[in-house]
Amino acid sequence: MIDISSQLESLALCLAQALLLLLAAPLVSGIVKKVKALLQNRIGSSVLQEYYDIRKWWSKQTILTPYTSVVFRLAPCVYFATTLAAACMLPNFFGGQAGFGDVFVFVYLFALGRFFMTVSSMDAATAFGGMGGSREVYVAAFVEPVIMLAILSNVLHTGSTSLSGMSLSFDQVNLTVAGVLTCIAFFLVLLAENSRIPVDNPDTHLELTMIHECMTLEYSGRLLALIHWASQLKLLIFLVIFSMLYLPLDLPVALKVLFSAVMVGVVETLNNKMRLFKVRVYLAAAGLMLLLAVVAQ
Amino acid sequence: MEMFLIAAACLAAGVLTMLFPHGWQKAAHWLANGLALAGSAAAAYGAAAQLMGQKLHPLVWGAYSLACDGWSAIFLLLTGIAGVIASLYAMGYARSYEGNRLRVLGGMWNLFLLSMVLVLLAGDGFSFLLFWEIMAVASFMLVNHESEQRSTRDAAYQYLVMTSVGTAFIMIAFLLTGSASNSFSFADMARNNLQGVWQHAVFGCAFVGFALKAGLVPLHVWLPKAHPAAPSHVSALMSGVMLKIALYGFGRFVFSFLPTWNYWWCVIVMVTGVLSAFLGVLYAQMETDIKRVLAYSSVENMGVIFAAFGCGMLLKVTAGGHWYMLGFVAALAHAFNHSVMKVLMFMSAGSIMHGTGSKNLELFGGLARSMPYTALFSFIGCLALAAAPLTNGFVGEWLVLQSFITLAGSNSAQNIRLWSALCFILLGFTGALALGCFVRFFGITFLGRARSQLTEHAHEADGFMLTAMGLSSLLVLACGVYPLPVLQAVCAALQLPTDYALQGWGLAWAGSGAQAVFNPALLLLLLTVVGGALYLATAGVCQRQSVTWNCGTYPTERQQYSATGFSKPVRRAFDYLLKPKRQVSYMRKDHAYFGRQLSYKLEIPDMITEKLYQPLQKHFVRVSAFLRRLQQGSVRLYVSYVMAAMVIVLIWGALYK
Repeated sequence: MIDISSQLESLALCLAQALLLLLAAPLVSGIVKKVKALLQNRIGSSVLQEYYDIRKWWSKQTILTPYTSVVFRLAPCVYFATTLAAACMLPNFFGGQAGFGDVFVFVYLFALGRFFMTVSSMDAATAFGGMGGSREVYVAAFVEPVIMLAILSNVLHTGSTSLSGMSLSFDQVNLTVAGVLTCIAFFLVLLAENSRIPVDNPDTHLELTMIHECMTLEYSGRLLALIHWASQLKLLIFLVIFSMLYLPLDLPVALKVLFSAVMVGVVETLNNKMRLFKVRVYLAAAGLMLLLAVVAQ
Repeated sequence: MEMFLIAAACLAAGVLTMLFPHGWQKAAHWLANGLALAGSAAAAYGAAAQLMGQKLHPLVWGAYSLACDGWSAIFLLLTGIAGVIASLYAMGYARSYEGNRLRVLGGMWNLFLLSMVLVLLAGDGFSFLLFWEIMAVASFMLVNHESEQRSTRDAAYQYLVMTSVGTAFIMIAFLLTGSASNSFSFADMARNNLQGVWQHAVFGCAFVGFALKAGLVPLHVWLPKAHPAAPSHVSALMSGVMLKIALYGFGRFVFSFLPTWNYWWCVIVMVTGVLSAFLGVLYAQMETDIKRVLAYSSVENMGVIFAAFGCGMLLKVTAGGHWYMLGFVAALAHAFNHSVMKVLMFMSAGSIMHGTGSKNLELFGGLARSMPYTALFSFIGCLALAAAPLTNGFVGEWLVLQSFITLAGSNSAQNIRLWSALCFILLGFTGALALGCFVRFFGITFLGRARSQLTEHAHEADGFMLTAMGLSSLLVLACGVYPLPVLQAVCAALQLPTDYALQGWGLAWAGSGAQAVFNPALLLLLLTVVGGALYLATAGVCQRQSVTWNCGTYPTERQQYSATGFSKPVRRAFDYLLKPKRQVSYMRKDHAYFGRQLSYKLEIPDMITEKLYQPLQKHFVRVSAFLRRLQQGSVRLYVSYVMAAMVIVLIWGALYK
């Protein structure tokens, strides 16, 4: 048996770190936006704009469609809670151990959030919600095998399935074929999982090809604030994972996260959104790289 | 063993209620289901006692015997639990079948349960085969219960043919093993002297026979037809328990009768498993019949179970030691958990059918308003089948993934790397598609607005049905948050130390390098505190109801996504596998944009039926036509056959004297 009090103390440390990440998440999304604006020769909004947006939504009225059930109101809360729980599982700076799961729990926590969000997309009984939900399911079906392969590749390299065990220490950072391939592939998955260009466009929901934004179209007020904040946290979590597990650079983590956030902005500027059914080819490319990486280890 | 005898006596008495006089329909119904409930409870109690360490002495009558060891006890436990729940449900559900059928249904229900309990208790090959066949016949009768419908009859007879083929293979496996040992009792058969190619033959026959019963691809074709055709509580037991009994039989062969395993056997079991998982869930997502969705999902889950089992075998062959058992722990834990959740979901499907009179997904919508409890229980079941954390579905999934990662890390040989990478890819697809499948199932059925008149008159299920569903939902959540009892039972069944893969409240596995843990209780604490606080912070604060903005028009219920529409992107993405046949034609077209009437027809033929069974059937008919020439009914011809046979025997006798 493990001591309950020490476990709770550990959990508190992890929660503290997760809350710090939560506070930083809108800033990171603001930085990505700023990078995009600068590269497109615009001044762009302030890097703090995302904080202002959340504050605005939080004080606004929530409008519900008469057909919605409790699932619709519950889904953003669950999505937020699962994302925060996933943030607790990241390698801890304060030395805490999340203690409730390894990398598979991490992946399936996001799946739990996705379950609630896609189910709620059908609750408002409009065409847009179902469209977003059905596309989210399609993209997830191709993202998941690639994530599994990325995990496999990393586990074979580090011999551990817990996220803190999997994170690379400085002496493990090496420029092997497998390492580089995994790094590129995970970056591709990161873009797909967080609904970024070229898979999805986070800036608009007005085109027929959009996925995540179109799923959440019926939300407003505090519920919308929760969804946006959780999505920003999710992006930050993936950037942290990318930096700590896959990026072969000998730098402090905060700098690596900043570097990868800038990379996301650059990639989003250089690329167009691709057609929906091209996404599987895009993810298959990532999968093939990882397959090579697994065999090359 | 006394508990099992009591169980068998209860169930046998339940079978006799079939003979009640005509006027006693209702009495027969209550008595039959009550006896089934009592018998199942006794079986579960006996199995639990065995797993807690009580020694049970086998009952022997000459060459025949009944015995219970750990491997059968865990299956008896899940049979008992599922039997109790489904019998409780049947008390409410089966009442809608009136007339003679009520008696027949109750009696057959008991016979089905009795045969499953006895198959698991059989201590020799002959009793096993006898009870196995009774099980097949009883389930055939139950599938064929609504025999006035042509589709039901077709499904039932296809099931009968397929299951007979399966039994033939199992029989060959038993005969081969038995003829290489002293007697047909399992204890003697464990000391067989099978050599070389005969071992391969026994393994092949046993695998084909049991895989057919388990519904693994490509032998699954009967399953998506037979399970939906049966009354819902029967489907629940067929999917929840009967498929697991195939795993029991296969495990009996592999553990007891075949001491050394070939590398390729393990690979075949594992790869068949993951392929079944992937194809099963892919077809599940395409279906619009709720019970067929669940039936295909059973194919998927049996695939996952067999994949984990194969992974365990492969671990033993390549790595050995204490580790290899994790695959078997995962397979058994998932078998147990899947049994509970699949019983729950088939009962939910039954309630939906009971309340609306249809099982077509496209006609539902907004049922959560008229059937709130069914909606809640289905939601829990859907979460479990999507392997969401905090349900028992995830416990199995976690163990399965750990065993595959252990396999990958155990050996750096390239072939092991490739097999495990293949399995990881397919398991990844399976997990994500299962999520999509049950999001669609729940969202289309219970959320949004009604898609047809049917759902407007929908009514909630009665007390018995709701109690049964509530009980199994509770089990799903309890085993998901506190997996200790199930894992301990599984460890006892496999004769592992009780703290194997367990730690405090959660699971732990150290075989794959550093300690991997999963502590659902802690996770539950975190999620409820954060989620609950947020819900309180958002619910009721500044909320207003208004119709969705729909570009200036009022949204209609026809604008919602349909079930077929929801699975369209996946269907298109996998069209090279699914080969959907789509026909769109204009019935009326007055204008280029408005007033068009379309007819849309979509058919997704089962790939295996088209590519494998139909050519096989055609070939079979052709060969039969040829054989008919040999058998024309002319006595002279038959006399000449006897003559020819005698001559051949004489020559043979003369040559090999």
